Amino acid sequence: MVLSEFAGVSMPDWIDALLRIVFIVALMTINAFALIYLERKILARLQARVGPTRTGPIGTLQSIADALKLVTKEDVRPITADRWAFELAPYMAFVPVFLVFVPIPFTETWFIRDLNLGLLYVFGVLGLNIVGVVMAAWGSDNKYALLGGVRAAAQAISYEIPMLLIIVAVVMVAAGRLAVDGDASLAGSINAIVGDQTTTPYILLQPLGFVIFMIGALAELHRPPFDMPIAESEVVGGYFVEYSGMRWGLFFLAEYTALFLMVMLASSIFLGGWNWPFGADVGLGLQIVLTLVKTSVMIVLVIGSRALFPRLRIDQLMAFSWKVLLPFAIVQVIANGIILAYGGADWIVGVVSFALLGALFGLIYHLMRQRKGEGARTVSTTPATPRVITAPDVTPVEAGGD
Amino acid sequence: MEDGVTATQVVFWILAVVMLVSAIGVVTAGNIVYAALFFIAALAGVAGIYLILTVEFIALVQLLVYGSAVVILILFALMLTRARERPQALFGRSRPLGIAAALGLLAALIGAIVATTWSTPETSAAIQPVGLQAIGDAIFTIWIVPFIIVGVLLSIALDGAIMLASPDEDDN
Repeated sequence: MVLSEFAGVSMPDWIDALLRIVFIVALMTINAFALIYLERKILARLQARVGPTRTGPIGTLQSIADALKLVTKEDVRPITADRWAFELAPYMAFVPVFLVFVPIPFTETWFIRDLNLGLLYVFGVLGLNIVGVVMAAWGSDNKYALLGGVRAAAQAISYEIPMLLIIVAVVMVAAGRLAVDGDASLAGSINAIVGDQTTTPYILLQPLGFVIFMIGALAELHRPPFDMPIAESEVVGGYFVEYSGMRWGLFFLAEYTALFLMVMLASSIFLGGWNWPFGADVGLGLQIVLTLVKTSVMIVLVIGSRALFPRLRIDQLMAFSWKVLLPFAIVQVIANGIILAYGGADWIVGVVSFALLGALFGLIYHLMRQRKGEGARTVSTTPATPRVITAPDVTPVEAGGD
Repeated sequence: MEDGVTATQVVFWILAVVMLVSAIGVVTAGNIVYAALFFIAALAGVAGIYLILTVEFIALVQLLVYGSAVVILILFALMLTRARERPQALFGRSRPLGIAAALGLLAALIGAIVATTWSTPETSAAIQPVGLQAIGDAIFTIWIVPFIIVGVLLSIALDGAIMLASPDEDDN
């Protein structure tokens, strides 16, 4: 449908399907190339360096050089590694990410398939990615890989829950709005949600949802400040420490593609995707540009957060998900339910969500203050003792205790 | 329909073979992590069958729930067993009991299959797929009490796990 309309010709179904696959593979590759270069450049700028400069004009061919190096590198398998788990793991990590592109709308009519259960599909399929990570971790027969994989699994499962709950809250709002002038049963379709945001992006209705979604996305993507599974200084690269060559490249590709996907999903369901801001449609047909602009801004923020925030500890990360994000997500779902069940207006939903967001930030600030004092005391009394498990360690500050 | 093989049938048989091979793999794999990985292949096959039956919601929930569940299973397997070694106790003293339980389950399933009146192409036209909205309405109105009981049960299990796992107050 999409591509044949675009090309203005009719073609058999299987060619159409093939073209869609080729399109997504090409997009993933270009995206990875672009993101590798961007990440290096942005991080370099934020650290007062210039980044790659030698390969091509201002270093733009750096990604090509990286890819060539990966392809020509020897693919080593440790002799004690488990053969099947080790060799299949990169594909198991990569294929789910690839499949998740199906319901993502690039424009109002450009998508692979508009699934009625699109949001559920994204999380159901993306969740399988962690199986590949655990396979790699266990198959490598390396204790750092295993530690990284166990961390990744714990982190992915913990952050999936607040993220899914917040998606439920968003779908509740969407169903309420779509019921007014459409079909409420479409509320699970990403394209229908984007289509509902012509005047009001959902970030105004569910700001808490947006913040929790982005925090969860950073954790799911193993991006700093939540990159303990691949922390170089702790587990020397984590679950892919034993991989080299193109197998490592597949993990890398999966990670950058997942970054693009998550950010695009966030910009679709919270920032209005292919819509012009606040209904100011000038009718230029630039929906694809709008989608990509919103996605790109978010990507720059995500990459920048790598340089801006120090890494958390694994116990802080887990406590933050279970003790802070999950209760807030549940409260948001209950609040939405009560407001919508009694026919409350959209602005009430938005105000309540903003209030909850304020409470979340207030709590984080309070915990940071508390933690700072505690850290100072720990340093003065027992400088060398690492704290094992602590309850309120949820702050993105550097822990003074260790 | 009767003479040719439809695409649905081809997909069904592929899925069936995948499910059966994986299911056999789960019980015969010497390595507990392999067994867990075969398990997720079998469950993915079941999700595929649900897709063929056009109940996408159940298929996606199957992936969502069991994807995470199998990962947790692997973690437990890694933490609680020596997964690297071949399990020694696969055929222990409880083997006759296991065989009896398996045969009993097999008999019950065969009995259920034989006792069911299967829909023919004529009657199956009357069966409409149940919409997601209908499932939601049923769960949250007619079946709300069982739903709440299941929720309470799961919460109790979670709280119990936290109680068992949490360190004593003075351990901090």
